Amino acid sequence: QTKWNLPTAYPMDNLHTENIVQFAKDVEQATGGKLAITVHANATLFKATDIKRAVQTGQAQIGEVLLSIHENEDPIFGVDVVPFLATSFQDSKKLWDASRPAVEKKLASQGLMALYAVPWPPQGIYAKKDLNTVEDMKGLKWRSYNVGTARIGELVGAQSVTIQAAELPQALATGVVNSFMSSGATGYDSKVWESLDHFYDTQAWLPKNVVFVNKAAFEALDKPTQDAVLKAAAAAQERGWKLSEEKTKWYLDQLAAKGMKVQAPSPALAEGFKKIGEQLTSDWVKKAGENGQAVIDAYKKM
Amino acid sequence: MFGAIPLPELSMILLGFLVIVLASGVWIAVGLGLVGLLAMILSTNVPIGQVLATTVWSSSASWTLAALPLFIWMGEILFRTRLSEQMFRGLSPWLQWLPGRLIHTNIIGCGIFAAVSGSSAATCATIGKIALPELKKRGYDERVSLGTLAGSGTLGLLIPPSIPMVVYAVTANVSVLQVFLGGFLPGLLVMALYMGYVIIWAWLNPDKQPERDPPMPFGEKLRQSAKLLPCLLLIVVVFLSLILGFATATECAAWGVTGALALAWWSGTLNRQVFLDSVMSATRLTCMIMLILAGAAFTTAAMAFTGIPAALAEWVKGQQLSPHMLVLALTCMYIILGCLIDGISMIVLTAVIVLPMVKQAGFDLVWFGVYLIIHVEMAQITPPVGFNLFVLQNMSGKDTMTIAKAALPFFLLLNVAVLIITTFPQIVLVLPKLAFPD
Amino acid sequence: MIRRFLDALYLGAGILAGLFLVAIFLLMMGLSVGREFGLNIPAGDDFTAWSLVAMAFLGLAHTFKRGEMIRVGLLLERLHGRKKQIAEIVSLTVAAAFIGYFAWQAWTLAFDSWRFGDMSQGVVVVPLWIPQAGYVLGLAVLFIAVLDELVVVLQGRRPTYEQEPPATPDELVERIASGGGV
Ligand code: NA
Ligand code: NA
Repeated sequence: QTKWNLPTAYPMDNLHTENIVQFAKDVEQATGGKLAITVHANATLFKATDIKRAVQTGQAQIGEVLLSIHENEDPIFGVDVVPFLATSFQDSKKLWDASRPAVEKKLASQGLMALYAVPWPPQGIYAKKDLNTVEDMKGLKWRSYNVGTARIGELVGAQSVTIQAAELPQALATGVVNSFMSSGATGYDSKVWESLDHFYDTQAWLPKNVVFVNKAAFEALDKPTQDAVLKAAAAAQERGWKLSEEKTKWYLDQLAAKGMKVQAPSPALAEGFKKIGEQLTSDWVKKAGENGQAVIDAYKKM
Repeated sequence: MFGAIPLPELSMILLGFLVIVLASGVWIAVGLGLVGLLAMILSTNVPIGQVLATTVWSSSASWTLAALPLFIWMGEILFRTRLSEQMFRGLSPWLQWLPGRLIHTNIIGCGIFAAVSGSSAATCATIGKIALPELKKRGYDERVSLGTLAGSGTLGLLIPPSIPMVVYAVTANVSVLQVFLGGFLPGLLVMALYMGYVIIWAWLNPDKQPERDPPMPFGEKLRQSAKLLPCLLLIVVVFLSLILGFATATECAAWGVTGALALAWWSGTLNRQVFLDSVMSATRLTCMIMLILAGAAFTTAAMAFTGIPAALAEWVKGQQLSPHMLVLALTCMYIILGCLIDGISMIVLTAVIVLPMVKQAGFDLVWFGVYLIIHVEMAQITPPVGFNLFVLQNMSGKDTMTIAKAALPFFLLLNVAVLIITTFPQIVLVLPKLAFPD
Repeated sequence: MIRRFLDALYLGAGILAGLFLVAIFLLMMGLSVGREFGLNIPAGDDFTAWSLVAMAFLGLAHTFKRGEMIRVGLLLERLHGRKKQIAEIVSLTVAAAFIGYFAWQAWTLAFDSWRFGDMSQGVVVVPLWIPQAGYVLGLAVLFIAVLDELVVVLQGRRPTYEQEPPATPDELVERIASGGGV
């Protein structure tokens, strides 16, 4: 019997973790217990930032990570957080299909193999006032936590504020931050309605969690077990996308039920974001070079 | 590597090894690391050294934890000011009428100093520096005077800010701010218990308290107390920086340092030497604590690999122990541990095993943090290893056992406090819930 | 000569650690005050966290030498003479082995970060081996300090970390308050 440890950073009741636990069960069942995967949720084994490294160096055999946190290492890891590039589950799926070969190639060079990817609900904007055009965002205390959000803040003239995710609820309550970009899920988890009252469903991007395995550990399995893993992974990907889409609606309904104004951006606001999106896409292509251009071209053709 | 050692045996081996390593006098951080190494050697075949390097790096490179050295530094600066003298002179004129009289300056003085210092030994030493000789001079019963100081010094840990609370919050992955808020009312509760005890004692022993000091004109009283204003101002500044949105919970530690520096400068005690001393002392204390935390972070990961904590939590669930029985068992364990090791080690050594159990039993982790901190307070005044006892031993020239006996009533009162917050958990939770409703 | 060099090394690293404490303070004040004036320190949280690691590890040797690293002294304090020396040698050997291993593994971590091209994950892109250097160096200096002590004890001298009993009560109060425990 082979035992794998699977570290993940999110709590047990998170949609990604629920999906992973099911994946682990499927594998165990399909292999008749020959491969047992223990899921270590909530960063109890490794923190989010270290999971990729841990799997790379064999400290764990399999892991899950929000791929875009590694975008500074290679722009290809950040293709799914280029703002306003893929703004729906459908487009996001296309983008994943278009970028998967490049992502897999990069991961392979690090001794890793991608098994499947599942997106988070789309990113929208939380604010305390009406945003009719991007000009309305000028002067907002805007939480920036990665390259994309920092650039958006810069382009709309908002004031970037550095706040760690753990301190976000308190920062919102005391007014240290009055606007930020995140999914309906994060807003729900941090009870954002206590301090902010607007949610603009801009669907700016859908960041993805990727489950990947140490290549050597995978190759050490016998063929039927390998097949069982791949089959369970394909099923998990399908299940995960559906789950994420269902939850998206549920989360937005919850925000509305708590008294938040949940709305689509006005045409003027959407237009402004579209321009910003074009700018940031070309920024990204510049960084990512030929490979990046090829991914974008393939995506646009789909 | 060996793979198949059953969990109960593995747990016993590791526990035995931990006891031997620590008792032999190996530095605590090293001992923790060794236990982690053994745990992994016995149960996995992953590259152990890399797990060590990775988990220590990522647990140390933490924004939240950066509040720790700043709270320590703040205390180091204040320890070097004339705050203690001002505290005694400012408080004593107002307490003459209470049964027990100036004994209460120990309790209230420690309570106020606790709101700017995160350390128990420093609180005890700062207040004791002036109060002990002054009380002796006036003929107060030395035993009660030492006992109240030992007991009240521990308020430094319960009333925020608090170094072990930061350590706990980081270890248990809960909000530092919530644990701070949780400690506030229990801190007042403990003060009330102490003062109640002193009042009763004074009634029962009228012959043991000296005459009042000669009455002081009201204006003079006010003038003496005005010297307390900077300290109260510091407390208010730190609090307001947080409430008004100037600072996050972590950043308010930096405001505390700014305030402490301003206070030291204002009182004329800030010079180059004091500044440098405070920086280096704070650095050393931080290094000591951080290395223990590093050892604990690795052991926690190693334990996750063995699967012991999860299995133990399951076991507790299966026993269907009532939550109160669990708390009683933990209290016994912590009292024994508290006699032997220091508070920080007590928190990190037990966290990996106890937290999953406590969560399983349905306790709030913020509540448990405050419960645990009260046990750390007890540990400060139980022999043979109790830092407040050491402080007072040196200030008074009495031996540890004499002081421990003097502190015994206060140890018992802390147990009463545990009983009260277990029966009425709202005392802990009302403020955190007010700030973070769910 | 070697003695002077080693002592300077421990103290130098300790002072560097102290500077990182001041850096943490300045970064946090900068973040907090800056916000009021519309200024932001990009990735200020990352820089703070890295300063903390540098501080925590670079100061270790100095802390160790000053006898402010805690251990359970219950048994140790009851030993004297030859028995005590043997106990110290055992403790120091165990510590040297562990810290040496730890330092080596930290070096491997930083070296891999460089080899893999690992980058920080925040707004400012920094190769991770740079902040990890403080971690490695601090452990390396601590390793040297432990070996140094082992040599001292093997020569039959009193370990440096075992402090003279304090001359005045004030000194001990200060010592406990600033070094022993909380
Ligand atoms: Na305190
Ligand atoms: Na004790």
